[in-house]
Amino acid sequence: MTDQDKLHQKLLLNRRHIISGMAALGAAATIAPRSALAQSKRVPITEGDFAPLPIAIPNFVAGTPSDGEVGVGVTQVITNNLKRSGLFAPIDQAAFIERNINVDMAPNFQNWKTINAQALVTGRMTRQGDGRLKAEFRLWDVNTAQQLAGQQYFTSPESWRRIAHIISDQIYERLTGEKGYFDSRVVFVDETGSKERRVKRLALMDQDGANVRYLTRGSDLVLTPRFSPSSQEITYMEFGQGDPRVYLFNIETGQREIVGNFPGMSFAPRFSPDGQRVIMSLQQGGNANLFVMDLRSKTTTRLTDTPAIDTSPSYAPDGSRLCFESDRGGKPQIYVMPASGGAAQRISFGEGSYSTPVWSPRGDYIAFTKQGGGQFAIGIMKTDGSGERILTSGYHNEGPTFAPNGRVVMFFREPGGTGGPSLYTVDVSGRNEQRVPTPGFASDPAWSPLLS
Amino acid sequence: MKVKVDKTVLASVALHVVVLGFVMLSFSTRALEVRPEESVGVDISLESQVAAGMKTGKKEEKAPLVEKVAEAKPVDDAVGKISEKQPVVTDTAPAPQPKAEEKPVEKKPDPPKVVEKPKEEPKPEEKKPEPAVDPIAETIKKEQKKPTPPKPPVQAAKPPEQQKPKERVFDQSKIAALIDKRDPARQAVTGETLNSNASLGLSKGRAADNSATWGSMFRRQVENCWKKPYGGIEQERPEVAFNIRLKKDGTLEAMPVPDGTPSTPYARAYSDSALRAIIQCQPYNLPAQFFDEWKAFVPVFQERPI
Repeated sequence: MTDQDKLHQKLLLNRRHIISGMAALGAAATIAPRSALAQSKRVPITEGDFAPLPIAIPNFVAGTPSDGEVGVGVTQVITNNLKRSGLFAPIDQAAFIERNINVDMAPNFQNWKTINAQALVTGRMTRQGDGRLKAEFRLWDVNTAQQLAGQQYFTSPESWRRIAHIISDQIYERLTGEKGYFDSRVVFVDETGSKERRVKRLALMDQDGANVRYLTRGSDLVLTPRFSPSSQEITYMEFGQGDPRVYLFNIETGQREIVGNFPGMSFAPRFSPDGQRVIMSLQQGGNANLFVMDLRSKTTTRLTDTPAIDTSPSYAPDGSRLCFESDRGGKPQIYVMPASGGAAQRISFGEGSYSTPVWSPRGDYIAFTKQGGGQFAIGIMKTDGSGERILTSGYHNEGPTFAPNGRVVMFFREPGGTGGPSLYTVDVSGRNEQRVPTPGFASDPAWSPLLS
Repeated sequence: MKVKVDKTVLASVALHVVVLGFVMLSFSTRALEVRPEESVGVDISLESQVAAGMKTGKKEEKAPLVEKVAEAKPVDDAVGKISEKQPVVTDTAPAPQPKAEEKPVEKKPDPPKVVEKPKEEPKPEEKKPEPAVDPIAETIKKEQKKPTPPKPPVQAAKPPEQQKPKERVFDQSKIAALIDKRDPARQAVTGETLNSNASLGLSKGRAADNSATWGSMFRRQVENCWKKPYGGIEQERPEVAFNIRLKKDGTLEAMPVPDGTPSTPYARAYSDSALRAIIQCQPYNLPAQFFDEWKAFVPVFQERPI
């Protein structure tokens, strides 16, 4: 109170000064404080650090005695998500000064300042009388002592992981200003068995590698699964009894159907951004051309007609253009053309060959696999082909897919030798590379849109 | 019972205590001081003004920076001034020869200096008549005491130095200097009156605006604390300004007030990160003599323009 009084006095004094000064000048009675401040010296600050933000995430408090386990679980999932993003540095709980946190009160910020935390997450998990789980959380700014975010959710107890992902997204979004990507799933090809008799199954998991579900039995070879923007359906290529065909698979119902009825093989499918069409390659003799099929009317439209292999099409998020791979110039390169067909423009001009282009959901980049010099690299370039940036390079890296916010790329890497492929993520700056845990070998990942 | 203690152990312990004590006292940590940055006033004139021939700009201070009044250094003339061309003597042009004869005449003003020597020589001659007692013994004593004999050689040495430059020695490494026929004037940097006003920023600069000095000190301190949100490579380029008031001890007088409200989630995260940095980095170590300037100012957090 005394401090406040002093401050008040000072402000009053200032005001008196200003008023007397204005009277002396004979100036107008009112001058906006903004103009007075505008006269102050402006000091430009430009060089900050892109360092991970230190964040403290104490275990979520148990609302009832039986909720302790789920509280710890949620905390671990959030901590793991934020840590893997590379943008946060969760502080080890062993360093915490305060253990028993009262969620309903403002935290004692000095305790968190001491351990250099800049943000603090507190929360509580409570089992309700009706069997549902209530999750509450608050995000605090330690330095300004302000609440940045706070939410509560109700869910069935078994989806506590999803709640943890949603809370992670809230924290990520509030502190980075970007959309989150934690509440999403990844479909991939699970590989087991020896190299000669590899069994490939379609599998689905949470973005952090948890909750793996197998979608096919493994009797037929599956390749290039892709998520629908509606996120209920997957399209992929399967080697059945005859030619490889593009299939649609409904995750909820387990139903499966062939896309179109074409002579010869169809491959490299991908959904349009509205989920209404599937674009793919059709083999015609020694060549392959791009076709798009409307899923409702089943009508197909040919988009390219060249004596070359055109494949791996991917739409821009606004659906107006698409990028694809073609060897019409000799080596495989990336081309961009209008979604309705027409003249294609080559955008990749570096050394080596480029394949598997995929347009970022954010629209700013195209990710690709680049082959050259005995190395397979994953890279990104702007949609006009400029600003190429290699994110990772090695013996075999392939199949990039963007996270829903376009800030992280997942791909698979084969180390060579007797081992098999595994999944990795890398952010678009190429700084933060992380392995994604999978039960066996894994390849051909495809990221889903955000679930919520 | 007496416990036997090894003397060497005792000595070792004592030495350790002494050394460690010394280290603890003398190796104390000191905060890294931020040195003030000297700033030089720069006037900006627009290209359009120049093109239009406008002369309304602020008149620059013509007086050069002079830090001390010093004697002018003799210019080290590497090659020597070319005063005259060597005449080319041909059968058809005998006329220029007289000119060449004039030159040696001009050179003669130097020998007069040599004439000064005789002037000094007479001095001992004048002194001679004064002592009447024992001229021979006196002269011997004088010759032994006085360092006059060494003097004439020094004075005599000067004329050859002045004459030296006139001999032109061809030095291949100084061809550029050969071409340059101007009088060498590069080293004439000292002035007659003191003028320390080249600097605007330092306290001795007597200028009204020292913001470059304390501003850069503030910037360096706050930048150490600022953890920007990472918005990808091609993020938007937000700019956020705060009105801050500092106390004399460098701590915040009140919560910084952001200028305007951020319009996008990224701008909001950006603004938050800047606010965190301002608060976390206090107290600021800023020069006390400029307190009137930095007690209230506006740090602007922004991306460096590409």
